[in-house]
Amino acid sequence: METDPRLYVTLPGLPMKNPVMPASGCFAFGREYAELFDLEELGAVAIKGTTGEARIGNPTPRVAETPSGMLNAIGLQNPGAQAVRDEELPFLANYDVPVLANVSGSTPEEYVVVVQTLNDAPNVGAFELNISCPNVKEGGIQFGTDPDAAAALTEAVKRVSTKPVYVKLSPNVTDVTAIARAVEAAGANGLTLINTLLGMRIDAGTGKPVLANEKGGLSGPAVKPIALRMIHDVRQGTKLPIIGMGGVQSAEDVIEFLVAGADVVAVGTANFSNPFVCPTIIRELPEWLDKLDVAHIGALRWQGEKI
Amino acid sequence: MKNESLTVVENKTIAAKTHEMTLSGPLVDAIDQPGTFLHVAVPGEDLVLRRPISIAAVNQGAGTCAIVYKEEGDGTERLARCRAGDQLEVLGPLGNQGFPVEEPLPGDDVLLIGGGVGVPPLYFATCELVKRGVSVSVILGFQTAAAVFYARAFNELPGCDVHVMTDDGSNGRAGTVIDALNERPYAPDWLFSCGPRGMLRAIETNAADSKTHGYVSLEERMGCGIGACFACVCETNDGASYRKICRDGPVFAFKEVVL
Ligand SMILES: Cc1cc2nc3c(=O)[nH]c(=O)nc-3n(C[C@H](O)[C@H](O)[C@H](O)COP(=O)(O)OP(=O)(O)OC[C@H]3O[C@@H](n4cnc5c(N)ncnc54)[C@H](O)[C@@H]3O)c2cc1C
Ligand SMILES: Cc1cc2nc3c(=O)[nH]c(=O)nc-3n(C[C@H](O)[C@H](O)[C@H](O)COP(=O)(O)O)c2cc1C
Ligand code: FES
Repeated sequence: METDPRLYVTLPGLPMKNPVMPASGCFAFGREYAELFDLEELGAVAIKGTTGEARIGNPTPRVAETPSGMLNAIGLQNPGAQAVRDEELPFLANYDVPVLANVSGSTPEEYVVVVQTLNDAPNVGAFELNISCPNVKEGGIQFGTDPDAAAALTEAVKRVSTKPVYVKLSPNVTDVTAIARAVEAAGANGLTLINTLLGMRIDAGTGKPVLANEKGGLSGPAVKPIALRMIHDVRQGTKLPIIGMGGVQSAEDVIEFLVAGADVVAVGTANFSNPFVCPTIIRELPEWLDKLDVAHIGALRWQGEKI
Repeated sequence: MKNESLTVVENKTIAAKTHEMTLSGPLVDAIDQPGTFLHVAVPGEDLVLRRPISIAAVNQGAGTCAIVYKEEGDGTERLARCRAGDQLEVLGPLGNQGFPVEEPLPGDDVLLIGGGVGVPPLYFATCELVKRGVSVSVILGFQTAAAVFYARAFNELPGCDVHVMTDDGSNGRAGTVIDALNERPYAPDWLFSCGPRGMLRAIETNAADSKTHGYVSLEERMGCGIGACFACVCETNDGASYRKICRDGPVFAFKEVVL
């Protein structure tokens, strides 16, 4: 595909041809979507959350639909860092697209091990610390809700990582900006937000929760206003680049996220409703630039002055 | 696997809350294996997940395929409101493991057991088997007469012996498909089945230690339908691994996975 130079955005570790990447957990390691379109059309790829050892995840049902959204409680199922290093990343290395490696763990030591294992994979451009998975007991949410714990984890990972480190913030907090500032001070190179919002559904017919795990993470268009508000708040509190996400499903949504303060966006749930959503958005962005009469997509990003 | 807009050719009610939809479009060319399914985007932006529905029949000459679905909730209710000429976004055919209809030999004893909306993929399988000159017995289980569909369609297939069971005996015989299975004097060489999990479990238990090559088609709530989200997994029988129903199935050999 012809790349429009107006769409290039370079973030720490991630030289992107355009500001759109699939979000972690919604794209596995790229193999399935590679059967549908050329992965080189994407700005980057965020891979499935990776832990130290393989994880089998939660019991099924693991997903439930909600109005304009979905709940998931996959439970970080993944083959473990070594298998991701040896069996999954080499596949993505066939494509000229930078990888954002999503890292999860129950202890700071586990995050460090995953980062050490994936560090030398040449196509890993940067790490994304998932300190916000609401679906497993030890999924890192404790690091995402306490500024000191988030900062300590960021520091520990920064000590071993040779790649830039993004921290993926949890929306399940009162003051997301406090966490953003804490990880910035601890040396984070960028931020990702938002992860899913903790939610629940009950089957009125049986009186039982729909998900086997009872609770799960809410994502999709239903969370977009929350994502925009949080990105907007965080933009005012930090200078770090922001990968924005939460309900993005169109080029118009991308513009909204950039104007709120994101540098690039990631697309999660929308891949399930339309597997071609990322390339479709990317193709539509130039028309938006024409319409808004901007010379480069970066010009749309709100710089953080008070509105 | 393709993603296309398919045209609704016909959408008709064939039993209580059960509808048969005929769809046309180039994607139909790629349908060649019974047991595979379509991931159908339901009209309306508020429903963000697609609905997995098995392929019930394919007519390559006419460029059409059929699905049969039961109105269970919001999505299938909206599908029921579709009219001829409407377009539906469809991803498919999905699944890499369907029923192995190529394998039974014409002299083999082949039994297919379907429960409720598990019947449609078995109709596709039966069509393929009889095309190859294999005769089959089918046991179809429904709750009550109003729910029965496709019994005549199976009867019209050459060499197809059909037994209908209803829970209340209002059509066919009273009892479950398991009752009909247990009345058979011999274990079949091949057994293909689709229906509620409890029924599949009972079938696997009852036909377990025989010479039978058994296969069951599984359902699970899906996200992506293509193997990328890990929503639809099931454990393998050795407890050491897992399979994705959308990608590795939806049909599995007896004992391959935990039912
Ligand atoms: C591989 C496969 C093949 C299927 N084939 C058929 C078929 O041929 N005919 C048929 O009538 N039904 C079939 N089903 C079940 C069918 O997908 C569900 O009945 C349907 O999705 C219900 O949607 P709804 O919007 O009406 O229900 P709702 O309850 O409103 O749906 C809410 C969510 O739950 C999901 N869901 C609900 N029930 C099921 C289920 N049983 N399996 C998977 N997801 C479910 C929906 O897809 C949706 O995401 C199949 C399921 C699978 C996995
Ligand atoms: C099925 C599913 C699995 C996910 N898995 C992960 C994961 O492994 N790591 C992670 O950081 N976020 C994970 N997420 C969160 C997404 O990356 C994203 O932050 C969130 O879904 C919001 O974006 P969306 O509304 O576009 O989906 C997952 C989301 C979904 C729906
Ligand atoms: S539905 Fe996504 S892996 Fe099966």
